[in-house]
Amino acid sequence: MRICRMIATKRFLTGMFFALLVLLPVQTLASIDTIAVDVGISVFKTTPIGIVPFEESAGIDWIEERPHQILTRDANLSGRFDVVASDKFNLALFSRAKAKHYMTGKVQPTNDGKLAVECYLYVSQSKTLLLGERYTVPQKELRRAMHAFFDKVIYQLWGERGVASTRIAYVSRIDGVKQVVVSDYDGFHRTQITRDSTISMMPVWTKGNKGLVYVNFKTNRPRLYTKNFGRSEKPLFQQFDQTYSPAVNPVTGELLFSSSKDGKTDLYVGDMETGKARKFAYLKSNQTSPAWSPYATEVLFTSDRGGGPQIFVMGKDGSDLRRVTFMGRYNERASWSPEGDRIAYTSMDNGKMNIYTCALDGSDIVQLTNNAGNNEHPTWSPDGKLIAFASNRSGTYQIYIMRKDGSNVTRITQAGENTAPTWSWFYDENKPQPKEGSK
Amino acid sequence: MKNIVKIALISSAACLALVACAKKQQPQTDPAAEGAPAAAATQDSAAAALTQAQADSLAAEQARLDAERLEAERARLEALINQIMSEDVYFDFDRSELTEKAKELLAQVGELLLKEQRFTITIEGHTDARGTEDYNFTLGAKRAMKVKEFLAAYGIENSRMESVSYGKEAPKAQGETEEAYSQNRRANFRVNIKQ
Repeated sequence: MRICRMIATKRFLTGMFFALLVLLPVQTLASIDTIAVDVGISVFKTTPIGIVPFEESAGIDWIEERPHQILTRDANLSGRFDVVASDKFNLALFSRAKAKHYMTGKVQPTNDGKLAVECYLYVSQSKTLLLGERYTVPQKELRRAMHAFFDKVIYQLWGERGVASTRIAYVSRIDGVKQVVVSDYDGFHRTQITRDSTISMMPVWTKGNKGLVYVNFKTNRPRLYTKNFGRSEKPLFQQFDQTYSPAVNPVTGELLFSSSKDGKTDLYVGDMETGKARKFAYLKSNQTSPAWSPYATEVLFTSDRGGGPQIFVMGKDGSDLRRVTFMGRYNERASWSPEGDRIAYTSMDNGKMNIYTCALDGSDIVQLTNNAGNNEHPTWSPDGKLIAFASNRSGTYQIYIMRKDGSNVTRITQAGENTAPTWSWFYDENKPQPKEGSK
Repeated sequence: MKNIVKIALISSAACLALVACAKKQQPQTDPAAEGAPAAAATQDSAAAALTQAQADSLAAEQARLDAERLEAERARLEALINQIMSEDVYFDFDRSELTEKAKELLAQVGELLLKEQRFTITIEGHTDARGTEDYNFTLGAKRAMKVKEFLAAYGIENSRMESVSYGKEAPKAQGETEEAYSQNRRANFRVNIKQ
């Protein structure tokens, strides 16, 4: 019942979505905007928040978005806020829109060509300052400074960590070859990580976001490699023939992966430092696409024991095996919500791939994408509010972010072909943005 | 992709031929080097030169024949390799069972491999573009294995065969049509010559 209703609503709305897309001119980076798709049942409690343009001294040559524009995009993407935009402080408007708080600030150029940005979070009614931060950064680092402030706002208002400072690794076709790249969660600041003449794919983040594990074909077979950022590449588990589907244990940092030998694919778990690995589970079926639960107590994986791929779960010691998906004949590549209660996965029907979520016992299935090309490879934001995925709805594969209920689909890559996104862990431990007075 | 493999094979076959040629040509260059102490026997030098010339031309003729034979052998091997590499085996969607047609083709490949004991092969399993990258690796591995099992049953030693999955990463045909899909659900061969 619930699903049917969802689909009906979604079909109509995705139609609208396409109509909107057609109307949009050629997109530039600055014109990416969230297309609001109301799915009828929203699991989100969003909070209205006012955003007022920053007070700005003359003489800034803007090449990036302005601070309030960056904050607006962060707020829209976050899945936590409804933005109430206003040219200036407007209590009547904020009050009507129930925006109990608003963000604004000041920006001025420094003598050495940087920007000094003051960011404030106020209570609307009393104009009480709740949070103030000051950053002095070159303009090209303004986005990251604003992301850092925005995550502080989320912490102030929600007591939770936000994801504006996180990143996404994905695969981008560059000069005809799939390469692994990393960008900020909003698609900006893209950096190429692999530079091989052979295919690189399936990137995942190592613990602490220090580097990536990915697959490369330089030995004419899929094999796992790891690379810490700024360091050289290291082959992993060379005792195995073909290795792929890496999944990093969020607690120990160990790697769970698939290896195919003589047509049989099994899961193995190993230490990336010592190179030692052991079989994870002794099963007759082929197993792939492993995913850890948030505290690494259980593992989701795909098995073909019923013919086609279906999702199963078992304890980290291989015990208590149960099947999760029963609807449809092709359910693959599950990913465990950081909140622990649901999984996201890709299902194929009539040759089309779509993203679903369900509870861990397989109940409460919700289809998140529909009637918009193929949609695959869902990856959760570390706060569990959002899902990034790859879709060819625009004709080529690009990366999108949506809320976990399928609403607010936002495209974050623009050109070429981009697939297989994997969201980083939180960036908490990493160095904070430089503040005034510190170097 | 396949072309590159072909070129690599042809050039490796050519290298093989070259190495072989170099060996065969050794006797031809030796007499020329021995021609140096000819000053000791001035009287017979004319006659010696004559027989030397005959020997040289004989050696040259021999070398030419050898080269021709090598060339013919190289061409034959190349043709065989090309034949094996063109024998793609096709599968049904999400299946790894061999169709009757696939078995016929594989029997031909098996015959060639029985005849040419120096050939070793890599069996590459592929899938169409539908489905996830991960599961398609698994599926490609299963397909390559089914081919390997068939050839093993045909009498080819397992040590001469290697199987590898490319998943959906190396399509033969582009596009999202059933025609392209059916071309891409395949297993194909790379051939190496044992030294």
